[in-house]
Amino acid sequence: MDLLFQVIVNGLLLGGLYALMALGLALVWGVLNIVNLAHGALIMLGGYAAYYLFTLLGIDPFLALPLVMMMLFVLGYILQRYVLSLIARSPMFNTLLITFGLDVIFMVLAQLLFTADFRTINPSYAGTHVTWFNLTFPTVQLFSFAVAMCLTVGLWLMMLHTRIGRAIRATAQNLSAARLYGVNPKQIYALTFGIGAALAGAAGDLYGVVSQITPYIGATLTAKCFAIAIIGGLENPLGVIVGGVLLALIESLTALYVGPTFVDVASFGVLVLVLIIRPQGLLGKTA
Amino acid sequence: MSNVLLQLNNWYAGYGDVDVLNNLHFTVKEGEIVALVGSNGAGKTTLLRSLSRTLKGRGDITFAGRSLYDETPEKVFESGLVQVPEGRLLFDQMSVHENLLMGAYRRQGKAAIDASLERVYGLFPKLYERRQQRSGSMSGGEQQMCAMGRALMANPKLLLVDEMSLGLAPVIVDQLLEILSTIRNEGITVLLVEQDIYAALEIADRGYVMVTGAITQSGSADELRNDPHIREAYLGL
Repeated sequence: MDLLFQVIVNGLLLGGLYALMALGLALVWGVLNIVNLAHGALIMLGGYAAYYLFTLLGIDPFLALPLVMMMLFVLGYILQRYVLSLIARSPMFNTLLITFGLDVIFMVLAQLLFTADFRTINPSYAGTHVTWFNLTFPTVQLFSFAVAMCLTVGLWLMMLHTRIGRAIRATAQNLSAARLYGVNPKQIYALTFGIGAALAGAAGDLYGVVSQITPYIGATLTAKCFAIAIIGGLENPLGVIVGGVLLALIESLTALYVGPTFVDVASFGVLVLVLIIRPQGLLGKTA
Repeated sequence: MSNVLLQLNNWYAGYGDVDVLNNLHFTVKEGEIVALVGSNGAGKTTLLRSLSRTLKGRGDITFAGRSLYDETPEKVFESGLVQVPEGRLLFDQMSVHENLLMGAYRRQGKAAIDASLERVYGLFPKLYERRQQRSGSMSGGEQQMCAMGRALMANPKLLLVDEMSLGLAPVIVDQLLEILSTIRNEGITVLLVEQDIYAALEIADRGYVMVTGAITQSGSADELRNDPHIREAYLGL
């Protein structure tokens, strides 16, 4: 029984990070109608940024978060403004093609620049944990869960209550009307993609602490994010928390009770079920 | 004589090689309500696109003493030429209040925006009652009020109201027309673009009749209402 609870705890903690990983993908998808296949690669780049900030400059990965997010924001803003804007409002297939191309480019560049070695960020407290109610909470997992939740809720509040958040939602809902009232969609799109990339960067930073980075993690992470965004729904940032936690729990429980080989079968099986039963996502309002 | 606010001279505009608007002359003076009426395909939408500068064109276009010819749509909007678009184009998933705030997107200063909010809620008490409601869930008349309120939040000099009466019950249209009169009395000029010539001429000072891209008739609202051609063609009298 203790093992079950421990697996649930691990799943919940991992789920927070999953939510953060998917948050940027869901945001960009919902607002720009781009399924960013390079999202996982952006997470990977965020991981390397944090890794080198830690190993070369000795900056703690949690303190490096704002820096990594800023770097990825700039990258995302430039990508949208000068590359992805070429395919603005074109059919979904074009966006898949161009972001897949970006994914390959980032992967190969990372392999050339950073080598294919496994990297992990190991701060001094990496192996420590706290024990509550006989359950073990690894410090880094606990921290990254907290950070992921703060960023997710922070984005949600920003979207609801700030002028920029309103403009982003307005542009997503009715582009013509937003333009009519002085919103510059190019700027809003670049800003949205920048925020999405910054969130990917934060997720990569945390991922590098709790797991390992290689140039090839992008595709798997994109697939996970895609599943989470579908499960949770695109309308509400809180949907990705539900989707992330659910996916992580399913993965952990499957690994324990069925076997680690069946993890992907279970998680993508749930994805298919959600698509059949509730295609708008668990927290989505309309199909 | 009041000042000219908007003027089009020798205006041509169209799509590709085809001109929809041919040598158009058109004037709106400060403080007026001007009706631009014409049936489907007369070129009303093309004219509005010319005004908002989302469609190029040739000729002179001036607004508030400045040429708009080379201006971007954003600049035109900022200079006070604001549309209430056909079909309302509300942000359906957002509340009434948020829709109104989007109207003030380009404006600075919380105090001024709050004052505008108060004014809009004063004009449309219904919107105040419904301010937290999702705009897409309201009735057509309420949605039109919300669209008008949103436009007023932009602090317009000239309000372009496109096909306001479309799909609304006559009693609602009358209410909205009354509100437009009030808006004009507060110093905002109104250009009412309508297929429903009868509704438009009810409150307008002057009117233009447009047929296949040209102005065929113009004059005071009374003159147009009593014109035998118009009575025959549009009012069925």
